[in-house]
Amino acid sequence: MRIGARGVTRRFGALTANDSVDFSAFAGTIHAIVGGNGAGKSTLMRILQGMDRPDSGTVIVNDQPVTLSGADAAFGLGIGMVHQEFMLVPGLTLLENLVLAHEPVKAFGVVDKAAAMQAARKLEKETGVHLDWSMRVDDAPVHVRQILEILRLLHRGADVLILDEPTAVLAPAQIRDLMALLKRLRDEGRTILFISHKLDEVMAVSDDITVMRSGRIIRSMAAAATSKAELAELMIGETLLDIVAHKSEVGETVLKAEKISVVDADQVERLKGISLSVAKGEIVAIAGVAGNGQEELTSALTGLSRLRKGRVELCSVDVTREGIAARRAAGLAYLSPDRAAEGLCLTASIVENAIAGHHRRKEFLSAGFLKLGRIRHHVDALLDSYSVKRAASSLPVGRLSGGNQQRVAIARELDGDPACLIACQPTRGVDIHGIAFIHKCLLEYRDRGGAVLLISEELDEIITLADRILVIYNGEICGELARGSDVEKIGGLMLGGVR
Amino acid sequence: MIDNVIHAALVMTTPVLLAAMGGLINRIGGIVNIGLDSMMLAGALVAFIVASNNGSWPLALAAAGLSGGLVALLMTLTITRLEAKEIIVGLGFNILVAGLVRFFLKTAYDTSGTLNLPDISRLPRIDIAFIADIPVIGAVFSGHDVLTWFAWIMVPLTALFLARTRPGLRLRAAGAAPAATQALGLNPLTIRDASSVFAGFMSGLAGAYLSIGVVGIFSEGITAGRGFIALAAFYFGAGRPGLTSVGALLFGFFDALQIRLQGRGVPAELVQTLPYAMVIVVLTVISLAARKNRGVRS
Repeated sequence: MRIGARGVTRRFGALTANDSVDFSAFAGTIHAIVGGNGAGKSTLMRILQGMDRPDSGTVIVNDQPVTLSGADAAFGLGIGMVHQEFMLVPGLTLLENLVLAHEPVKAFGVVDKAAAMQAARKLEKETGVHLDWSMRVDDAPVHVRQILEILRLLHRGADVLILDEPTAVLAPAQIRDLMALLKRLRDEGRTILFISHKLDEVMAVSDDITVMRSGRIIRSMAAAATSKAELAELMIGETLLDIVAHKSEVGETVLKAEKISVVDADQVERLKGISLSVAKGEIVAIAGVAGNGQEELTSALTGLSRLRKGRVELCSVDVTREGIAARRAAGLAYLSPDRAAEGLCLTASIVENAIAGHHRRKEFLSAGFLKLGRIRHHVDALLDSYSVKRAASSLPVGRLSGGNQQRVAIARELDGDPACLIACQPTRGVDIHGIAFIHKCLLEYRDRGGAVLLISEELDEIITLADRILVIYNGEICGELARGSDVEKIGGLMLGGVR
Repeated sequence: MIDNVIHAALVMTTPVLLAAMGGLINRIGGIVNIGLDSMMLAGALVAFIVASNNGSWPLALAAAGLSGGLVALLMTLTITRLEAKEIIVGLGFNILVAGLVRFFLKTAYDTSGTLNLPDISRLPRIDIAFIADIPVIGAVFSGHDVLTWFAWIMVPLTALFLARTRPGLRLRAAGAAPAATQALGLNPLTIRDASSVFAGFMSGLAGAYLSIGVVGIFSEGITAGRGFIALAAFYFGAGRPGLTSVGALLFGFFDALQIRLQGRGVPAELVQTLPYAMVIVVLTVISLAARKNRGVRS
């Protein structure tokens, strides 16, 4: 065994990210680690690479138990990792990045460019790729940067390569190239571990596959001994559902998006002409694996980012060119997935957080000054109805538990019954009790005639709440399902069309 | 007349250029050095005292550079090891060193404001035969002291250092992506500290130029905010030594012009603000132009 783990457990507070994990990868194999978000894949890889240490259990390298004191120590044993966020230096050329920290030099510390270039050419020959080495990293497309990261690991002598979702940022043709490169490196005797959500590529390239779920290894097997359908089932697991909601009366359309396209800073299309509509009295869920365009969709609908193409309508009014404030005024509410950075101001008081956005209402103003007494009265009544446990409303909202913070956020967004709510990961970081309460709030709001667009990575949540489910994959809506659809069918669509 | 202005412009450019080259290296390493002025002031005083006691200008320059480097070392350690904010620490050092200098003048020399010492060893001028008599070219190339030559030689050397050498490459990496640099086994903080000490050394020389290069007198306000002008110069230069020297030269030119314009009916105090006002104007124009190029996001 080239690299592995025995009984590795890692806890972060109450969360057990890795629970007695046993894992083995052999030299000369490609080993895929698959699993949903929060399954513990990245934690395990970080432990194998020395960036994190297990609370108990041990890492195994070349059949020997070892204690890795850091990434340097792992590197000394030939283990290197390509992170999702690349560790390249902007402003430097590809060649400079390749040799940085191991530069060949001539007299006066002048970098020996010829020697560096020779090393680069040697790597090119070994791997069969060709790069424009004089290009600056900033100008290099993302797949080139990734190849550079891999070549740099090889240049520095790593023979165990750990890749964290290497294909998440790549186009199909680039994925094929990467896979060919990985196979070539494997055939030379290297060990490759890679994390992926995408079962097609996992089946196409790996020798062994390990499925993780909720911090545990569900099963490790040879790729030849399994199928996409089986993997999907193992990843999603049994869903214990307690469906309490039923379809309600659906009214007129409130939120409507027509063929909206969004490009990122590199001009890569992240949303490819998505159309959807949400009517009064229904919850429409966007299901999908993280990073398939959910964030871009949210930004486009709330007005946080601009559209390249398409239009957005709120209550039959075209708001495509309107900013956030105008959209909110037209009846849009938005529950952010990131409470700490976007949803709340953690250092401001509970009252200030709960009134923010509503503070311009006439009833809270007098000659331009806030009526603080009135606001406090209003907020206390509001938060009591959402059972927010608090010592005093004047405390910073950051002092509340995660679940209570989320209640403050949801109370604020639903205050005054907006026409439409975009709720992103509404129960992220909330315990079971809190989840049930938030689900109840969303269902009650819907039954009062609210329109909810629910964007969630929790399949259970979507199945519980949604009246219609739209599955997003790679920036497109790849399927629509009604309430009560088969879990496996949704899961299959989420993973790129396995049916 | 033109010769005089050219010569004066180059004289006024030298201290700004020296400090700007140091600040440029420091900034590329990842620290915006607001404290250049304090290092200049320390260098000016130390150079002045050493030049009087020993009568040796090379020794005075060395002492000035070292004292500037020492101030910079203290400043950079506060920033990189104690994680203090560079803006606050830089401003703090400017005030601290100014206060210490005043205190030192009072206790050691029982004087305030200006300090006069005997037998100051001034920086020698290098007159180049033949060239000295040619108009314009003579003013550009002849009659300057060693520090002026050093400052201008440092411009291409700095460019070469950054582009071609191993420490230059590591410096750029430490500034642009400290996390990635660290992941490769380098220590970005140590690299930053080294760049700060270099900035302090250069600023110390700049200070020495003011006290023993130009006048042979020391006063509390001798830097006249030139550390901040150096800051403006390397911002103007956007990380490029050549363009940074243009920024320094621009200030030097307006400073020389300002001296010429004094006593022509406009109040001297107002005329003296000309170079500083021009710095603001130029920086504003540049950032407006840059914004236009980017295409402003609405």
